[in-house]
Parts: sequence; C-alpha cells; structure tokens
Amino acid sequence: MKAKTYLITCVAVAAATVLGILFVPGIAEIFETVLLVFLMTNAR
Amino acid sequence: MKIVKIILQILGILVLIPAVAMATLRFEKSDGDGPSIIFPGGALVSGELHTGPEPDWSFTADVDTIELELDDADTSRLIWIMDAEGRAFIASGYMDNFLGRLWKHWAVDVDAGADLAVVRIGDTRYERRLVRIRKGDILDGVAASLIRKYAGGNVTPQGIAGMRAAIESGSTWIFELAPRS
Repeated sequence: MKAKTYLITCVAVAAATVLGILFVPGIAEIFETVLLVFLMTNAR
Repeated sequence: MKIVKIILQILGILVLIPAVAMATLRFEKSDGDGPSIIFPGGALVSGELHTGPEPDWSFTADVDTIELELDDADTSRLIWIMDAEGRAFIASGYMDNFLGRLWKHWAVDVDAGADLAVVRIGDTRYERRLVRIRKGDILDGVAASLIRKYAGGNVTPQGIAGMRAAIESGSTWIFELAPRS
C-alpha cells in the first residue's frame, strides 16, 4: 500500500472507530470489556 | 522488503484502533455524571448529600461497587467497597508495578495528599476523607470482606493472611472512607 493510500486507510479506520463507539450501541462496552481483561491479565 | 512494509502497516492499524478507541471512550465519559467500568467520569452531581450522624457502613456488604470522586480532580470512577467493624474501605490493587500505578493513579494522588472525596452509593453522596490503612488488625476484616465479595467468597484464615500480606506489602492499597472532621 502506498503511503497516501495507507494514510487514507488510517483516517477511515480511526473515523469508523470513533463513530462506532459514539453511535453504535454495545461497541463501547465491547472495547471496554476487552481493555478490562487486558489490564487484569497484564497489570500484575 | 515489501512484506516487512505490509506487516508494519498492519501493525500500525492494529495499534491505531485501540488507541483511538481509548481516546474516544475517555472523552465520551469525561463529562458524565459518574464513571464507567474503566474510564473516569465527571463530578458526581446527582444524588442527595448525606448529612447527620455517621452511618453504620455495614450496609455496604451488599453493595458491589460505589462511585468515587476526588475533590481535587473532579473526576469519578467505579470502585469496590469493603466493610469491617462498621467502617467502610476501598481498595486499589496492582499497586506494585508501573502499569498498575498508571491505571490506578487516583490512589497515588490520594496517598500524596489529595485525600478529600465524595462517594455515591445508590442515590446518596457522602463526603469523606480517604485514609490509607497500611497495618493493623482491622485489615483482617477488610481482607475477609474483600475475599467474600470479590475473590470467590471462600473466606479462610489462609486466604485472609494472604490478602493481608498483599496489603501490608503494598501490592494492594486500602483506604478507609473516614469522616472529614
């Protein structure tokens, strides 16, 4: 992937992530649960 | 060389997604009336402020989590609560490593002196002072409550001793929800 295409892809992925968390019910909870499991597993 | 570039690009996106997600979640929760499981919320606004005599905190035996707001930060978080001898305590675990202290930086702030707090339990807010308990027999009761509520419920002398050792070694920090005056 060329640099310009890659940057556009990154922006699109970031925008989709933000919009998903803000507007799709359940997405925020899924991210938070995954993060909680990660912290409980690794913060020891 | 091309395969390395592709791998790096994929890794970049895999790092980007959680980073953006965390930033978004933190922003989304930051001005709410109360926290989520991980991310701090804003100041605790709703709920009646408790006045009158000191409560018997044994009622918190049936409470899973409470909301804690530090006065200095105007942010709030969910936290476990333990009771022993009619007093109430909160815990901060994973405090013996960098990641834990980063995650639970509120406890570091309290230990450094930012000890005035408001807790919300149900629809009632209580103004408290957080006092770190490092030693003492009260820790047996706190450990028993911690095990009973959050660590499987099988309270044994060995379990209490192990939990108390974790507290006294600094791995788990315990704060009493003490009266302000």
